[in-house]
Amino acid sequence: MVDPIFSLRGVRKSFGGRLALAVDELDLAAGTVTAVEGPNGAGKTTLLHILALLSPPDQGRLIYRGRPLPRAAGELTALRREITLVAQQAYLFESSVAANVAYGLRLRGMDRRARRERVAEALERVGLSGFGPRKARKLSGGEMQRVALARALVLRPRVLLLDEPFANLDPESSEVFGRVVQGLPAQGCTVVLVSHARGQARRLASRVVALEGGRVVSA
Amino acid sequence: MDFFLGGLARGLRLLAGLDPEVYGIGWLSLRVSLSAVVLAALAAVPLGLLIGQRRFPGKRLVVVVFNTLLALPTVVVGLVVYGLLSARGPLGSLEMLYTPAAMVLAQAVLAFPLITALVIAAVTTLDNRVGPTALTLGATRGQAAWTVLKEARFAVLAALAAGFGRVITEVGAAIMVGGNIRHFTRTFTTAIALETSKGDFAQGMALGVFLLVVALAVNLAAHQLQVRWR
Repeated sequence: MVDPIFSLRGVRKSFGGRLALAVDELDLAAGTVTAVEGPNGAGKTTLLHILALLSPPDQGRLIYRGRPLPRAAGELTALRREITLVAQQAYLFESSVAANVAYGLRLRGMDRRARRERVAEALERVGLSGFGPRKARKLSGGEMQRVALARALVLRPRVLLLDEPFANLDPESSEVFGRVVQGLPAQGCTVVLVSHARGQARRLASRVVALEGGRVVSA
Repeated sequence: MDFFLGGLARGLRLLAGLDPEVYGIGWLSLRVSLSAVVLAALAAVPLGLLIGQRRFPGKRLVVVVFNTLLALPTVVVGLVVYGLLSARGPLGSLEMLYTPAAMVLAQAVLAFPLITALVIAAVTTLDNRVGPTALTLGATRGQAAWTVLKEARFAVLAALAAGFGRVITEVGAAIMVGGNIRHFTRTFTTAIALETSKGDFAQGMALGVFLLVVALAVNLAAHQLQVRWR
């Protein structure tokens, strides 16, 4: 296997006493597309949140790029800036499309001119050129998901995590997601996408991990 | 009815005539109440954000306490602040009693629980995806908290407007710690109380009308901000 970007060892996560995820061993290769499949409640979103460094495991270790996660908040934020999650029905901020896409770049202190160029480039990539001044939350569901994708892509992340990227998408948006995901490994980006149904996600992935009841049943 | 209408008419004439004393009272009221809201907000907004976002044991109790403090009588606040600032009180050496600064302090104490409770409600009812979205796009904890506040900006502004409404209309605390001194600590409400007790109903009405105009102007400004933010 190519060097793993993520290694999970003995990871356990519970919510209100219910075990949501129990992964004894799982390695995810860098620069590949991995599809995580499983029925509702299989622990897919929990796994994505752990990989996104948004929710630490209760037990076990998550190793990212060969190193265990740091405890210091500053170091954790620095790592989190390499990994971006696009949620199912992503939240868009109450502002314009351009401001939404520029959000992460502003946090990183990028100047306005460079930001504008990167935002335009990202919007073009998702087929939303010219959408910059529009109110983000007035768009259609598929367009909103594409804005969320652009907002993640603009950061040029090392890891892109997608939660149910093809659920409830119109054909055009679905095609955009598929095309973008396909091109990412060549740019050195690792993609992990989660899906409850076997479909487009599986076709794009070089590996499929199946989860059931929080456990890996095939990988 | 003539009594009311006569008072109202004289009130409007006083306003139109740019009576310096009336405008002095208006300016002081505005200054004191806006300063009190700013002072209260400096503590209440971060605290409301913290309480609203964090999960901790006893959170419900804290929220109930803040909701209870909404019913805090203004005279009780006046009494406590008076006790603190009086010559024999712990802050007596500051010689703040019967100054506009004392009124700002008392009104800030009044506005604080109201703004805190409303910010808690604003943050609690906000979409819970805001914080994780900010974090996954690279925000630090502080930047994520600021984003939450920005997303809740309409409700937070409404909380500040409610705080302003609470303090500009109160009379108990202002009269106790301000003393209703002419040209120095006389505000709309303390002047209305005085004029009514003197039997000068028209002057009281004039001030009442002016108070409403000022409150309207402040709320219109807040509304304009909300419109611009949309």
